[in-house]
Amino acid sequence: MTTTMGIIFANIYDSSLGELTNKRTMASLPYGGRYRQIDFSLSNMTNSGIRHIGIITKYNYHSLMNHIGSGQEWDLDLQEGGLEFMTPYAADHNASYRGKLDALNSAMNFLRVAKEDYVVLVDSGVLCAIDFRALVEDHIASGADVTVAVKDGISNGVKQLDMAVKVDKNSCVTDIAVDYCASKDYLASMGIFVISRELLIREVTEAVAHSRYRFERDLVLHGFANSGMKVNAYQYGSVALFNESTAEYFHNNLALLDYSVRNGLFRVPNRTIYTKVRNEVPVYYSENSEIDDCMVADGCVFEGKAFHSVFFRGVKLNKNAMVKDSIIMSDTVIGEGAQLEYVILDKEVVVRPGAKLCGTYDHPLVIKRGETV
Amino acid sequence: MNFQKKHCVAMLLAGGQGSRLMVLTENTAKPAVPFGGKYRIIDFPLSNCVNSGIDTVGILTQYQPLELNEYIGNGQPWHLNRSHGGVQVLPPYARSKKSEWYKGTANAIYQNIPFIERYDPDYVLILSGDHIYKMDYAAMLRYAEEQDADCTIAVRTVPIEEASRFGIMNTNPDGSIYEFEEKPKHPKSTNASMGIYIFKWQILRQFLIADEEDPTSENDFGKNVIPALLAAGHKLYAYEFQGYWKDVGTIDSLWEANMELLGTDPAFNLDSEKGGKIYARNYALPSSFIAKSAKTVCSLIAEGCGIYGSVSHSIISTGCTVEEGAIVEDSVIMPDVFIESGVIIRHAIVGEGCRICRGAVIGGSFAEHEDKKISVIGKNKTIAANQSVKPGEII
Repeated sequence: MTTTMGIIFANIYDSSLGELTNKRTMASLPYGGRYRQIDFSLSNMTNSGIRHIGIITKYNYHSLMNHIGSGQEWDLDLQEGGLEFMTPYAADHNASYRGKLDALNSAMNFLRVAKEDYVVLVDSGVLCAIDFRALVEDHIASGADVTVAVKDGISNGVKQLDMAVKVDKNSCVTDIAVDYCASKDYLASMGIFVISRELLIREVTEAVAHSRYRFERDLVLHGFANSGMKVNAYQYGSVALFNESTAEYFHNNLALLDYSVRNGLFRVPNRTIYTKVRNEVPVYYSENSEIDDCMVADGCVFEGKAFHSVFFRGVKLNKNAMVKDSIIMSDTVIGEGAQLEYVILDKEVVVRPGAKLCGTYDHPLVIKRGETV
Repeated sequence: MNFQKKHCVAMLLAGGQGSRLMVLTENTAKPAVPFGGKYRIIDFPLSNCVNSGIDTVGILTQYQPLELNEYIGNGQPWHLNRSHGGVQVLPPYARSKKSEWYKGTANAIYQNIPFIERYDPDYVLILSGDHIYKMDYAAMLRYAEEQDADCTIAVRTVPIEEASRFGIMNTNPDGSIYEFEEKPKHPKSTNASMGIYIFKWQILRQFLIADEEDPTSENDFGKNVIPALLAAGHKLYAYEFQGYWKDVGTIDSLWEANMELLGTDPAFNLDSEKGGKIYARNYALPSSFIAKSAKTVCSLIAEGCGIYGSVSHSIISTGCTVEEGAIVEDSVIMPDVFIESGVIIRHAIVGEGCRICRGAVIGGSFAEHEDKKISVIGKNKTIAANQSVKPGEII
């Protein structure tokens, strides 16, 4: 029986989400009312039988560690295997990584002592309920050195992709491009790769020895173009949301109000997404509240009105307040008569009574964690 | 194995059948009956224990224990998965000489003397698993210690006209109990026992053994053990509890207690800032979706629901769907119920996992002063399309 381990990169794309990842990793960014982005990677791994997982993080990892704790919610509080955090302090030589290969090089001991045959490597910016078992099986069947999970309908000639792949009629990879605003005929990498553990160790050692640090460019593309590395593309057919900018994050939260998106992420049989429990009380909808077309997490108290928005846990929406097309994170308080439209309120924000906050669909107004406005 | 000494061990009596809850306890022990959208009745005494710093709890089960055992698991949701102490489910078991069911509340504790002895406790707290309330047992324990009481009984004041339904503690001005009357015809006072006792363990142990040897005893705390302690001249004190407390042993009281959670300043507030957090086993469910077609007022709605219809003055528990055009009013909908379009539910309790098909009508409306007849649908039932369930009908 083949065995698979997992590696999650917690900090990829941090800088492209501005204020939202100012004090947290991409992986611990709250999403969809009650989740953190890493819940998807962790749940996909445990749902696929992966029980040995390394989380590589370079900074701002306090909220991430706090969220994951012992890993008990994902059944990862194990005596053998389970979760390991790889922070910069655990690295033996340098305190910051220059790329994923550099990070993997710092985690070399973790890779060496592991016994699993394959490694699934995952970034934290793409949300989906993917079956890694099927992915690894496809990798083995293809006979490829590396498999990348890809999604159609993402490349549009404008969005810059970390890696884009072109395939022929037989799904064979014919071109790979990195950091590229690929046209529609390219498939977008989901930042999910499968490689054998032994090959990964060899490739990482070799690349870092030659000052090459970037996984997509220096391992996959370099191997594909220069040394005959066989790359397989695994086309993922279900919902996959790319949260790589503030606008995408905003749109992808609101996308949950669409039944098919919600079901494709949260209601796939045997692919439950787990998260940390907070023991909040059920939501109270008061006499004068009017809540339409909203996702609502537990612990909220509604006295005002809301339309087409996502509410995280423990939000207080006071009388005559009006929230439209907004993302409201946990423990925020929206004062009486306040009006919000196209806004992202980070956690613990207080909106004063009567305040008016307004962004646009493509440039939502982001209010920093803990601010009073 | 080494056991750490514990100052106080709690024993939670969760074996009752709860037959007055009818179909709701057909396959479920009363303490496992859902309450308040995401809780079960047992979450209240268990959370009170944790919030009071009591970390060793024995749960005595007997009737339909499967669901309850599964729910308690290793006790992790209540932070009771401890290396020392924690939660332990204690069903009756076969012994070398004889094996028997728990004959009464006192016998249930008697049979578990070895469990309690492991922790060498000074005090034992006896609780029951069918009450909704928030209480600081640590304050009661402090009172017991201050009075150097052999037994302390929590009491609350009830209206004198209702006192004959309860066990009444008649006390001296200093709070000591001189007489206990079980359901007296002519009550002398209004201190009703809440079924919460703190005993000095060594004294309780002695009385449990004596009670067991008495073949005429019903092995019940209220009927036998408390009167025996009084007769022997031991120091019994009443500890007055003020605050919300509800025995949810009947359909009406269960419905009422659920309704008392509603409002911006409800009679019973689940909020952690009001007397402590109530912990429950949480399942991995996404947030609830409230559709544009939905109307949600004066209601508590838990996680994992899809609301497309009209919900007012009701409790909707985890994982429920209310389709467009359905109406739910003044009702308690337990977890994982599917309510199809055109259904009307009023003044009802709908058990876990039910499916109410298109156009069915359950229950009815009542004037303010009228006695409300609550309709009840048992667990996992299907109500056929256009079927009518009368007010007060139980299915």
